Parts: sequence; C-alpha cells; structure tokens
Amino acid sequence: MLPELSHEEILRYSRHLLIPEVGLDGQRKLKNSSVLVIGTGGLGSPVALYLAAAGVGRIGLVDYDVVDQTNLQRQVIHGASTVGQLKVESARAKMLDLNSDIQVDVYNEPFTSENAMRIAKDYDVLIDGTDNFPTRYLSNDVAVFLGKPNVYGSIFRFDGQVSVFDARRGPCYRCLFPEPPPPGLVPSCAEGGVLGVLPGTVGTLQATEALKLLLGMGDPLIGKLLLYNALDMSFDFVTLKKNPKCRVCGPSADIHELIDYEEFCGVPGHDHEDGSAGADWDIEASELASRLNSGASTSLSADLLLLDVREPHELQISALPHALNIPLGQLASRLSELDSAREMVVFCKAGTRSARALELLVSAGFKKVRNLKGGINAWAREVDTTLPIY
Amino acid sequence: MRYYVDNQHEITIPAASMAELVSGILARYPVLRPHLFDAEGNLRRHFNIFVNGANIRDLNGMDTPLTDGDKVILMASAAGG
Repeated sequence: MLPELSHEEILRYSRHLLIPEVGLDGQRKLKNSSVLVIGTGGLGSPVALYLAAAGVGRIGLVDYDVVDQTNLQRQVIHGASTVGQLKVESARAKMLDLNSDIQVDVYNEPFTSENAMRIAKDYDVLIDGTDNFPTRYLSNDVAVFLGKPNVYGSIFRFDGQVSVFDARRGPCYRCLFPEPPPPGLVPSCAEGGVLGVLPGTVGTLQATEALKLLLGMGDPLIGKLLLYNALDMSFDFVTLKKNPKCRVCGPSADIHELIDYEEFCGVPGHDHEDGSAGADWDIEASELASRLNSGASTSLSADLLLLDVREPHELQISALPHALNIPLGQLASRLSELDSAREMVVFCKAGTRSARALELLVSAGFKKVRNLKGGINAWAREVDTTLPIY
Repeated sequence: MRYYVDNQHEITIPAASMAELVSGILARYPVLRPHLFDAEGNLRRHFNIFVNGANIRDLNGMDTPLTDGDKVILMASAAGG
C-alpha cells in the first residue's frame, strides 16, 4: 500500500506528476522508497540533493568526515558556514531545507565490514559515492550479498565512470575490476585533483539511475558502463558482461561474506593523505628547518638535496628554494640525475607522493633519503606561514 | 590514463591485433607498462581494454584482431568520489 500525498506534496511535485512515466503513482513510489548514499563528498552531494528534491522518502547518509575548505570547490551540499561540522549533519540540514517532507538517516561512522550489512539492509538502492578502493569493494559485496542494485560512479580530473551493478541482473563491480590496482599506481583526487563540476555531472547521472530503478522506468545502466570525459564532452558506452570467474557473484564464487577490504586493497579506507613514509623514514618540517638553518645557506645545495616530486604547475603555488623538481612520474627514468651518496629529503604537497618516491629511491639503492612528513603543506603550517596551504 | 600520457586523449597506432597495438603504445609511453601489466606480464585486473565497446576479456584477449577504424578504449579503475 503506497503512502498518500498531501496537497502540499502534490503542489511540490507538480512537475513530476505531469510526466506520465512518474505520475501520482510514481511519486507515491518514491515517497515509499529508500536510498543509501555511501559518502557525502563530491558525488554524494548532487546525489543527496537531487534525491531529496525528488521526494525519495528515506535517504541514508554514511560518512565520518568533517567539512573542510578544500571540499567546497565541488561538494556543493556543504557550505562555508558548515566547515568543521560533520558532513552527514551538514548534508542533512541542506536536504531538509530543500525538502522537509523526507526522512534523512545519518550514519556518522566509517562504512566497514562490521556495520555495512546492518546499515544497508533496509534500503532499496545503494549509491557508491566513496573516494577509495576498499569502500568501493565493500559497497559492491554488500549489494551482491543483500541482492540490491549498487549505482556506481567514480571520478578523476576530467574523467568519470557510471554504471549500475546489480548481480541479479548483470555484472557486479568485481566482474569489471576483479582486483584493485596495486597501492600507489592509481592516483586519488587528493593527489591528482578533480575538476569541481565533474562530480556534479557524474553524481547527477547516478541520481538519475537511482530514480529510474526506484520507478522501474527506462533502461538502467545494467551491463553497461558510461565513460565520460569533460574535455572532449564525450560519452562512450561499453558493454559489461558477468564474469564467470567472479569471486562474489560467479557460479563458483568463493567469497560469501564480507572480508577485510583494507587488507585486500593494501590501502586505507579513506582518501586522506597521512603524509608519512613510516617513522624511520620521515623528517618533520621543524627538524628539516633546523637542519637547514644550521648549515650555511650558501652551501645548502651541496650538503642536502631537497627533491620536490610534485608536478611543475604546483610549484607556482608554493616552493622551497634550492629544491630540485623531478615529478614522481619521471623519477624512475631520471635517477641518473641524483647522487646516491648525498643526503636527500623528498617532498610533495602532503607527503603521499614523496613517500612513494622514497620507496622507489630506496629500492634503487639510495640510503640517505628521508620523506618530509606532511609535505610542503606541513612546512607552510609549521615553518613558513607565508606559504599557502593547498 | 591520460594522467600518464601527457593528457593525450586519442592516439593512432597502426596494428593488426591488440598485442601489436599495446606494444606500439608502450613503445611510445613506456611509463604505462607497470599500469597495464604485472611482473609476470599479465594484464592487470583493475585494467580493461575495450574494442568497439566490447571487453577484450570477452573476445580473444591480446589476440583480438583489429581492423581499420576500430575504436579501442584503455580504462583503469578510479576510486575518486
């Protein structure tokens, strides 16, 4: 028995009621439906806003992060006035301001193997709006085990991917990507950046797919993957088939319950940079400053090499004097420019790329090498506050 | 993938099979090798190649023949959100 709409709701959803594919019954279906949005960042922002506006009766939000300044370039559900607040609370307030007739359930906790089934089981559709591989594999497996569709979206720089994974009717995420990339091979948005409007495009497509699923209308992106590129304004569709060897949805599946996804992916379940290469390899910004100050500044470059592994355009934002710039992607082929006998401190924006550079250098036989923990951003916070943080 | 190939979005390489095409790409962009292949030379499992919209895993893998005008898409998984 579908819920009735009040006169106020009929007025609010007038433009939906005029579409025969939605109509009064469809709008009542939406009121009776529920969607779990996993992640309230770039993708989760438009998804949650549009599903709230569309009148999806119950929307769950999972996130344990707080809003920060760097989010506002793309995470339009949050605002300057909510910086420092929990993302789920910031998002809920905006959604209820848009539509107070809906219910927004918030889960201010990481989405993990311990809580995921409990959180997801009472929702009709899951939306994968996360920012890391472990949570993507977890979201997929939860959807497979619970027999629910998982509306997938992911973004990087100018590229987006969208699909609907529903193992009952087509392939799942693991059919397409049986394994995650080796740690460090695929850069995250925190490292490589993303055009702010890109998650708007991709998230809006995810919201569209979710509404189609809830209303049973149209042709959902099951068995199809959309590859979007903003620079070319290209939309390519490729066909996805069920992988007969899929470990969660194939005929001889051997994964029947949630696993340890951080271990499976070899990376943490978040996109924050901790900027450390391990205590033995790190040097704090303050320690580096005193090292540099104790040496004669004129002979600095002879004593200690500062190796900046950021992209050249990042040097316009902030830079350290005397540093040698070799972008991480070029480092392996330019090792001959470096003197392994010399002490070296490697740095990047926040310490993640430099930690990777350090691994590469150590495996190539460099021994006197350290990682500037927290990168040039830590230097800007602790040593030279005239430098901007980005 | 563009991240590693100077933001090139389309390249043209003459090849009669997927294996030839991939060799041609790697000759031009050797930095891509560890992205495409593991230490044993197997195509990495977070990486997909499509010919005219079909995954080469559903065709003949690296032996998939190519003809004039075929559109090949190289795609890695991305986690950003």
